[in-house]
Amino acid sequence: MTLDINDMDLLDRAAMLVGTGLMAVGVVVLGLVETLAGEPYGAAPLTNEAGEVVATPMIDPNIRVGLVVLGLVVLAADGLYKLVRATPETDEAENATAVTQ
Amino acid sequence: MATQTKQVTDFGTDLHLDGGWQQYWLGFLRLVVGWWFFHSGFTKLLADGLSYTYGPVYLKGMTGTALGPIPVWMGENLAWAIEPGVPVFETLIGLGLMAGVLTRLACAGGVFFMTLFWVGNADFGHGLVNGDLMGLLLFLTLGILAAGRYYGLDAYIEKTEFVRTHPRLRYLLG
Repeated sequence: MTLDINDMDLLDRAAMLVGTGLMAVGVVVLGLVETLAGEPYGAAPLTNEAGEVVATPMIDPNIRVGLVVLGLVVLAADGLYKLVRATPETDEAENATAVTQ
Repeated sequence: MATQTKQVTDFGTDLHLDGGWQQYWLGFLRLVVGWWFFHSGFTKLLADGLSYTYGPVYLKGMTGTALGPIPVWMGENLAWAIEPGVPVFETLIGLGLMAGVLTRLACAGGVFFMTLFWVGNADFGHGLVNGDLMGLLLFLTLGILAAGRYYGLDAYIEKTEFVRTHPRLRYLLG
């Protein structure tokens, strides 16, 4: 039994790279930038014991979250594309391709 | 005995799960994640029935998030669907995952829920990667790996003639 990750065309691969790329930028790349920019190292404001905000993130967390959500939307769109694209004919063709690879 | 094979493609190598620990672990992971959502939804049904009023309240409180006005609009205008929908769909997602039926569809639903939880809870004090994002990634992983094919009923459903003649279903099953 094989995984369907073999059944990829150019659009699938573009969606895979763009979707996961946006998520990686939002979480990892901008996370590294945020960390190197100093406190707060997380993505929430830093408060003192009195509850006063003493430092805010350099990058608005909404931007980072937005990039991740956008990545999810790209992956979802690709899933829908695969769903719509699938026909008995394409299914047979993809299976034949997988066998010959 | 666990075996794995690699298939060389023009985009690298794809890993195939042929047996043993990898398949077993995917099935186990699917069971636990399914229980997580089933428990969450079923206990809401037990406590509040089809009137889970906190659902719309939660969405209305999602102001100033990356999702913009969408969740607030949903909370204000779709309460009639959200109040019964949250417990029912959480329960169905959980059941689907535990039984391995319509696994990818269930995972898509789980990703939708977890996105709202992750963005809405916004507990980013230790960074963007928190338990909610991990839950979201679990659903994505189970869906991408078609975890319902391992110790799940989708393995049998996908072999039926009906699915063979309707291959779109493979992207909802699996």
